[in-house]
Amino acid sequence: MIPALRFDAVTFSYGAGAVLRGLSFSITAGERVALLGKNGAGKSTVVRLIAGLERPAEGTVWVGDWNTRDCAPEQLAWRVGSVFQHADQQLFARTLREDVSFGPRALGVGAREVERRTDQALADLDLTAHAGHHPYDLPPALRKLAALAGALALEPALLVLDEPTIGLDRALRARLTRALLDRSLGSVALLVITHDLTFAAETLERGLVLDRGSLACDEPLAGLLGDVSRLEPLGLLPPPVAALSVALDLPGRPVRAADAARVLARVARGRPGP
Amino acid sequence: MKSLTLERVSFWYPATEAPALRDVSLAVAHGEIVALVGAVGAGASTALLVAGDLAPRLTGGRLAGTVARRDRSAIVLPTPWTQLSGMAFTVWDEVAFGPANLGWPTHEIARQVDRAVEQLELGPLAARNPATLSGGELQRVIIAATLAMDAGLLLLDEPSAELDAEGARTVWRLIRALAKEGKAILLATSALDALPDVADRVVWLEDGAVRAAGTPDLLGEVAACDAGLGTSVATLWGASGLPGPYPLTVDHAVRLWR
Repeated sequence: MIPALRFDAVTFSYGAGAVLRGLSFSITAGERVALLGKNGAGKSTVVRLIAGLERPAEGTVWVGDWNTRDCAPEQLAWRVGSVFQHADQQLFARTLREDVSFGPRALGVGAREVERRTDQALADLDLTAHAGHHPYDLPPALRKLAALAGALALEPALLVLDEPTIGLDRALRARLTRALLDRSLGSVALLVITHDLTFAAETLERGLVLDRGSLACDEPLAGLLGDVSRLEPLGLLPPPVAALSVALDLPGRPVRAADAARVLARVARGRPGP
Repeated sequence: MKSLTLERVSFWYPATEAPALRDVSLAVAHGEIVALVGAVGAGASTALLVAGDLAPRLTGGRLAGTVARRDRSAIVLPTPWTQLSGMAFTVWDEVAFGPANLGWPTHEIARQVDRAVEQLELGPLAARNPATLSGGELQRVIIAATLAMDAGLLLLDEPSAELDAEGARTVWRLIRALAKEGKAILLATSALDALPDVADRVVWLEDGAVRAAGTPDLLGEVAACDAGLGTSVATLWGASGLPGPYPLTVDHAVRLWR
């Protein structure tokens, strides 16, 4: 099967010094992948390359069987839904519904199908009650979810999100996790750039770590997130749940809160304290 | 001595009926770090705008109650890219923009800027064009630009949001150091796990009003955990059915467990 996304020895620079150096990885349908790394490691550049806003200096970015070098951003929108880092600033229509439906309308999707997709995307993120509101009457966090709804309405094979949880409280994060898990079950491939390792643990399954433009790590998040000795040199810290699992030596070293709570309760029942 | 006092403050944004703040009273002393926490829309950002005299002065709207400030304040907004001056082509000049507008002599501007650049570990970026920076780098530049103005009251809205783990650690450590120097610090954050080591007091806002205030132990209480405002460890402890008081941090949990 052709991967939803493949970076093949991609090198890129904005001028002096390479931002990405020979980066290679691929993501298949239904996979949920975190792209991690320090500020300035090149993560947001990966998003721009996938969306077709930049072209690799060397190597190739494949979206399905399309070489992004041959595609305009608007063509790539058939396959990729991108939400950029400051997505709450990218809304422009007079109502949320109009904004969310813009993508599929621009792709030339039929009116009834546009309506179905818009309703679905708004419902997936619990935004239906705000559909008639002006985007800038809503808090930035909800605008951010609205931008994501716009990407969902494209019904892309690949969703690429850059720091989707900034400014979101715990309830909105949980809402986002639920929506992304639903879409991934429907075989959407997910690539999420995030510093929020708690969110990554809850939502994603595989971790790519960029270090100075190269891939330093590509493995299941469950093992990686509890491993301080490997995370620290990469500028990452284990999220509290993973750190607690390690510190209390919980069986299976769970990294998701619900799993850890179950294990903690079981272990606590079998010991005298606390 | 209090640097900032809000007394029974309510605030309405223009053309809205429901107040964004309802009868909020809080104070921040010199050397103290007060953290505002709450769900999205609870009023934390608005409280900072009011504290910084930006609301209603720039936002419009209506304020009731009393706001008393003893110091000049400086604010870091949650959208750092909107705070760039647009007038500077290097990070150093960007950080100097605020002090220059305060009319300070050149040597004093240079001293404050050099210090802020060093505090935020921006030395390697000092000659870069701010427009080419990543989100996290930009956030550190804006924090440096705020510090360079040497304000007595610092207002920080989600100061670690764009930062990686290392950057966040640097900023939280710096905030503690600034409080030790005597700055008054009022911040809003969703990085609840950082607060036990950073904040002196926590004010929990709900629907524009103060629901509770106290030490960071508040973030280990059942009600806070139920409202999604417990630390990750406290929330996990509660979810596993273990009895309270819930530990706030991994270290605290390990001590309790042993």
